[in-house]
Amino acid sequence: MTTAIEPRSNVRRPLRPPVTRKERASQLPWALGLFALIVAAGVYIVRAGGSPKLGFIWVVGVALGLALQRSRFCFTAAMRDPVLTGSTSLTKAVVAGLAVGTVGFSAIQLGAYFKAGQLADAAKLAALEPVGLHTVVGGALFGAGAVIAGGCASGTLMRMGEGFLQQWLVLPFFVLGSALGAVTWPVWKAALRVAPSGGVWLPAALGGFLPALLVQFGLLLAVWLLADWWGRRHAS
Amino acid sequence: MALAQREVEENDSVPAAVAAAAGPRKATWRDHETYRALLVQPWTYVTGAVILALLNIALVAATGKGWGVTTSLAYWGAWIWGALGGDPHRWAYFAEVKPAFNAPGFGLLSDPGSLTNLGIVAGALLAVLLAGQFRIKRLKSRRQVSAAVLGGLAMGLGARIAFGCNIGDLFTGLPSMSLHGWVFLVSIFLGAAAGSRLLVKYFI
Repeated sequence: MTTAIEPRSNVRRPLRPPVTRKERASQLPWALGLFALIVAAGVYIVRAGGSPKLGFIWVVGVALGLALQRSRFCFTAAMRDPVLTGSTSLTKAVVAGLAVGTVGFSAIQLGAYFKAGQLADAAKLAALEPVGLHTVVGGALFGAGAVIAGGCASGTLMRMGEGFLQQWLVLPFFVLGSALGAVTWPVWKAALRVAPSGGVWLPAALGGFLPALLVQFGLLLAVWLLADWWGRRHAS
Repeated sequence: MALAQREVEENDSVPAAVAAAAGPRKATWRDHETYRALLVQPWTYVTGAVILALLNIALVAATGKGWGVTTSLAYWGAWIWGALGGDPHRWAYFAEVKPAFNAPGFGLLSDPGSLTNLGIVAGALLAVLLAGQFRIKRLKSRRQVSAAVLGGLAMGLGARIAFGCNIGDLFTGLPSMSLHGWVFLVSIFLGAAAGSRLLVKYFI
């Protein structure tokens, strides 16, 4: 904001009651306008792509943004706060989300397995990616970057919507880093010996859904208990 | 900085005292208890986590593919490179790792990740407007600029090397019982711990 140069005077302005955000004009007209735009974009996406599936994905995206903003959800804080402040309430919430996700995803996978009788058919529904040293290197680099930038992948997008100019600056460099990562694939593929596809799916590796689910929920419970213990220890 | 932002945001639920100081005011629909609980006051973290997980399950059930963010950011970079006159379709990465990029007719509006990314920005904006809490938050220092630049680059590069981010690897990969999700969980913690040290030392 630029302020006009005013002649200095000793006359104080009369005190006004503090203006709080609650007292500001309603932003509802803007909200309704944006809602109309979101609906119009949905119609356009379905028409242009010729598929109602794309419209569904658009609606889920908007709902994800709403849920992220309403709950102030922040994966970065879930990873950072245990170290920085000792708080683990977000960390435990992430674990809860992972547990709910496991219930849903495994049910979908089991549906495919019951239908076809083959683990391979269920594996197609898993988000498998190659695992190895590159997962550690990339994950650590990502974690450090997210803490420094003040938001992870979902957090950056959510804060852009909330009006944080810092995240509007993060995004182009996030995109640039992603493109650089893609361009330099031959380099780190060779350096870290990465396979382009594949992965380890617990039900296939452990001999079935039952042992895999036991291990999965056992580990989730262990992480939750660890976070709970850490949070109590650092509560001041 | 994000810590401070959170505190500021959570302080905006102090209507009673300040409203009294500002004089009597007619109660409006915005003061309605249900409206405030759903659209003004923050939800609990667990509520958020469960709803995000359910939406992700809905995505997999309906489309066969879960939520991801950063692969599409690599597409965006590649499309910009293409618009500048380059040919990203010759990048070995897309041919070997993400062949979907080279499919004919593939673009911003047919990429699920791009649609959810844009939807998240729109949905978050809609949520703050409904709460009456939207305002532009400016960059406050040069350090914030360098944090944005370096953090953004590190996240982009790291996500490609790890084949995903906190969403694709962690929030989708781990619940689908892929081992890489678990390894990513441990790694992102280690990186965040190191990042916290750097943040305190150089960026605040």
